Amino acid sequence: MKSALNIEIGGIKFKNPVMVASGTFGYAEEFERLIDLDALGGIVTKSITLAERPGHPPPRTWETAAGMLNAIGLANVGVDRFIDEKIPFLKKLKTAIIVNVAGARVSEYVEVCRRLDKVGGFEMIELNLSCPNVDEGGMEFGTDPDKLKKAIMAVREVTSKPIIAKLSPNVTDIVAIARAAKEAGAVAVSMINTLVGMAINIENRKPCLTNGTGGLSGSAIKPVAIAMVYKVHKAVDIPIIGIGGISGWRDAVEFHLAGATGLQVGTANFIEPDVTMKIIKGLQDYMTDNNLPSLHDIIGKVKVS
Amino acid sequence: MKKTIPRKTRVLSNRLLDKTGCYRSLQLTGFKPGRKIYPGNFVHLKVTDCLEPYFRRAFSVADYDSRTDCLEIIYKVVGRGTSLMADYQKGDTVDLIGPLGNRFTFPGKKKTAMIVAGGVGLPPLFYLSQQMLAAGHDPDRILFFYGGRSREDLIRLSHIKKQGVRFYPCTDDGSFGYKGFVTEAVRDHLPDIDRKNIMIYGCGPEPMLAALQDLALNENLAGEISLEAPMPCGVGVCLGCVKPRLDQPGHYVRVCYEGPVFKMGEVKL
Repeated sequence: MKSALNIEIGGIKFKNPVMVASGTFGYAEEFERLIDLDALGGIVTKSITLAERPGHPPPRTWETAAGMLNAIGLANVGVDRFIDEKIPFLKKLKTAIIVNVAGARVSEYVEVCRRLDKVGGFEMIELNLSCPNVDEGGMEFGTDPDKLKKAIMAVREVTSKPIIAKLSPNVTDIVAIARAAKEAGAVAVSMINTLVGMAINIENRKPCLTNGTGGLSGSAIKPVAIAMVYKVHKAVDIPIIGIGGISGWRDAVEFHLAGATGLQVGTANFIEPDVTMKIIKGLQDYMTDNNLPSLHDIIGKVKVS
Repeated sequence: MKKTIPRKTRVLSNRLLDKTGCYRSLQLTGFKPGRKIYPGNFVHLKVTDCLEPYFRRAFSVADYDSRTDCLEIIYKVVGRGTSLMADYQKGDTVDLIGPLGNRFTFPGKKKTAMIVAGGVGLPPLFYLSQQMLAAGHDPDRILFFYGGRSREDLIRLSHIKKQGVRFYPCTDDGSFGYKGFVTEAVRDHLPDIDRKNIMIYGCGPEPMLAALQDLALNENLAGEISLEAPMPCGVGVCLGCVKPRLDQPGHYVRVCYEGPVFKMGEVKL
């Protein structure tokens, strides 16, 4: 018997748990020539802000041991162009579309979501409450439970779509943040965003990134993400979308065991554009080989003595 | 349409090209990309199955023969990735994605192509002149400038000569050909050619391309340059390989996606 990979988060049905993370998949059109987009569980867009943003001057990315630093600076086309130019392509796809929204102030999150809600063409909103690379906003909402609550509640007023809160790992107590997201009405938390990191050129003694610091992602951060997913799953009753260094089906199983219902693949898309297809197949085979009827048979089933 | 996904290729050869041990030619088979590979296109190569170095490395195509399915990359050993590549043996498996990126525009048959290569910028331009000749371009209307620090830095000299193009090697120290920068040699030849019919093609170190672009813009000459940048993804989504636009200040282009070939005046160097 073939195992079922479908999941449901906040009333939205996903054919499988494998989504692509914001900022690692563009607006999906770039990947059309590379993979079958309809096979994905979901697609999370690049962060959308109210105004178009060119992003930081290069260098914006830096290769590290088993990972990368990035400080792109939320480069995106802005919500109006996103609606005109990107939504028409996205809404034709037979997969769940999640629009990631970022802002410097609560009013910006609200206005972006209001405009998106008028046109539709997507299933969910993911609030980027955790970008480490812009001077104002993003991260301040992700590190303060009260501010995070206010942002989520304000957005709820203007959108009919379920809200996912994307959490920062750069906090002392991620459980408190996840709990605040649930109380504010988020249907799920996605975690983790990147870890603040830095690299320095020892020849010219300058930071390797123009921005100075950046966000660390990739295989290197997977154990941090697993631990955080595990902690939140134990403490807060909210679906978790696991993110952080997922590069193969074994990583996917590990995240499920730690407590993730859904998954987002990020940096690995850069190295293997078809990595998501391999993860879906590997996950399917693992489930079937172990006679597991549904993903709920492994979600949160890590055996801790 | 066939999807552009990673493909396993096999090493046919991995030869040293120069006495200094810097340049190598890697020939691969089994690529079968399912589409034509044009001069300027690049491939993204996974150097190792291990996690270090983490990202793929981009190389412009130096040659591709679809009949024999033989792809050639010419690379200079400079860092961790290329050092590992230098150890590739015949029969090894290499994971490739491509062809990626845009391409050089072929000039009309009446045009004079001034091809300007600096150092490791040679491979895509060698492929360009070869393809132009194959398409019937008059070799007398191809001026091939190729510069390096000294004679030892120049590779494939006999190959270029064999193409029958008008070849102008240049060295900074004068050990071979014209003494001075390639851009100076280009400038010296401008008076002999009808400017409206010139197309410049450049690839090489960024300071050289900046000088070439300045020359082209000042002299009002059309042309294209191919840029290099570290590329985490190579497919336009990570936004890591951007360069500032010259024609639209405050905006950026992705070298991997809008490029790697840009018109003169498009990118600020």
